[in-house]
Amino acid sequence: MIFGFLGMTYEFRWSVLWIQPHLTWLADGILTTLRLAAISWAIAVLLGIIFGAMRTVPFRPVRSIATAYVEFFRNVPLLVWLFFWYFGAPEAFPEVIRQWFIHHGIEFWSAVAAISVYHGARFAEVIRAGIQSIPKTQLEAGISSGLSVAQTYRLIIIPIALRLIVPPATNESLNLLKNTSLAMTIGVAELTFSTRQIETYTAKAVEALTAAALLYLVICLSISTVMNRLESKFAIPGLIARGARAEH
Amino acid sequence: MKRYGIIFLLVMLVLSFTGIAAAQAQSTMEKIKNSGVFTIGVRPASPPFSFINKQNERGGFSNELGMLVHKGLEKKLGKTIKLEMKETTPATRIPLLTSMAVDLVTETMTDTRARRDSVDFSITYFVTGAQLIVKKGSPIKGAQDIAGKRIGTQQGSTNERVLREKYSKAELVTFPDQAAAFMALQQGKLDAYCNDGIQLWGLKYKTPNPDQWEVVGNYISYEPYGMAMRKNDSDFRAVVNNALMEAIEGGVYFNLYDKWFGPKSDVPYPMAQSTKDFLLLQVVPK
Repeated sequence: MIFGFLGMTYEFRWSVLWIQPHLTWLADGILTTLRLAAISWAIAVLLGIIFGAMRTVPFRPVRSIATAYVEFFRNVPLLVWLFFWYFGAPEAFPEVIRQWFIHHGIEFWSAVAAISVYHGARFAEVIRAGIQSIPKTQLEAGISSGLSVAQTYRLIIIPIALRLIVPPATNESLNLLKNTSLAMTIGVAELTFSTRQIETYTAKAVEALTAAALLYLVICLSISTVMNRLESKFAIPGLIARGARAEH
Repeated sequence: MKRYGIIFLLVMLVLSFTGIAAAQAQSTMEKIKNSGVFTIGVRPASPPFSFINKQNERGGFSNELGMLVHKGLEKKLGKTIKLEMKETTPATRIPLLTSMAVDLVTETMTDTRARRDSVDFSITYFVTGAQLIVKKGSPIKGAQDIAGKRIGTQQGSTNERVLREKYSKAELVTFPDQAAAFMALQQGKLDAYCNDGIQLWGLKYKTPNPDQWEVVGNYISYEPYGMAMRKNDSDFRAVVNNALMEAIEGGVYFNLYDKWFGPKSDVPYPMAQSTKDFLLLQVVPK
């Protein structure tokens, strides 16, 4: 198949995507992307819950710490954080620990640190929004029934908030997954890296970029589908008012 | 309706990548003549071939060869042509050529048979081979010592490919650019960094203390540099080749070589007699 490509003829060769070793690179790239995203996501959600809750508690010092974390980490570009966690942070560790990391995938773990801390700050805001949408009377009712503030948060406020914030959390999760592509700048061989690798070996840019676009699309659509299921399963009747199920 | 929407989006995506043949096919000579602009692909930090110097000016050996080609073009077309320099990386230079954003890649690009599937090359204008740069005193003395070691490479380079295929026991860490790879080496996150020997010499002399670094080992690969251009564009290719041949024949090439690689330059790299013979043999009679 030959297409005009900005005046030049471009010959498509889609087979560059599945001949070896390119197929292995793609498969490895997908696995690395999923692993990077999954680990970073778990940490980011945990950080988000902790700092998001801290942003709303009725003690000013705790709120200030959480606000500092959120504003510091979300207001610097992720790419800069990646360089910081790869070139900067490891240098502060004792030599033994540094060497251990260097021989156990330092690129990958630096990327995990950068992505999870950055997205943790963003998740914290989503969770704060969820908590603040819950009437204050819930907290007061919890405390007056004899629970401590921590218990009220753990048993009442956070479980409700998590069920309210599924739509924006889906958004954040998809952003996190797509942002893993930046990890290639510090030498992590994830999906974008693999497709660029195929491109540089074969000079078939259109095929490689299309593969990257479609694979990200498929992964993200799968995540949205799962999250939509979760959303309808855990929606709290009366709290999220909806005429009909969101169309997807 | 929803489903058609997705299909429509996918079609748009593929079409936008292929750029659609809106423009008429035109040769590079026509393009340069009509637009009055000749664009070469250069690099910001690849001394002594193509880099931005301390006075913030673009310079380097292959940049100056590109300027010779520019003069040849003006002579051939009989009019003044504007010379533009656009930054490229190993990963972007072929797409930039095929999309007509750049007319000639003059930076350090190895001529390979695989690359000749997608671009055409000029005659060879420089000869080197892949080596390793290590911290002084490193146990790595050459490619034989790299099994199990963390070796940095640059994505899209021929060295990366050679290491992947011939030295699969080394642990490769591939970066999009040389600066990141060399920084990782400086911090001890890599045991060695692999690139074309001459580039490593350039890198060594650019560091604050060159004595701390060693370029080691025999050539792992053969890297003949050529200027890359779009395929099947023989009129343009002839202009490029003639400019290079005239420079080699008339001695301008060797003066430039002396300027950038001679004993008094920052990166002394004496030319082997065999290389000199090879360069001269490429010059066909008038």
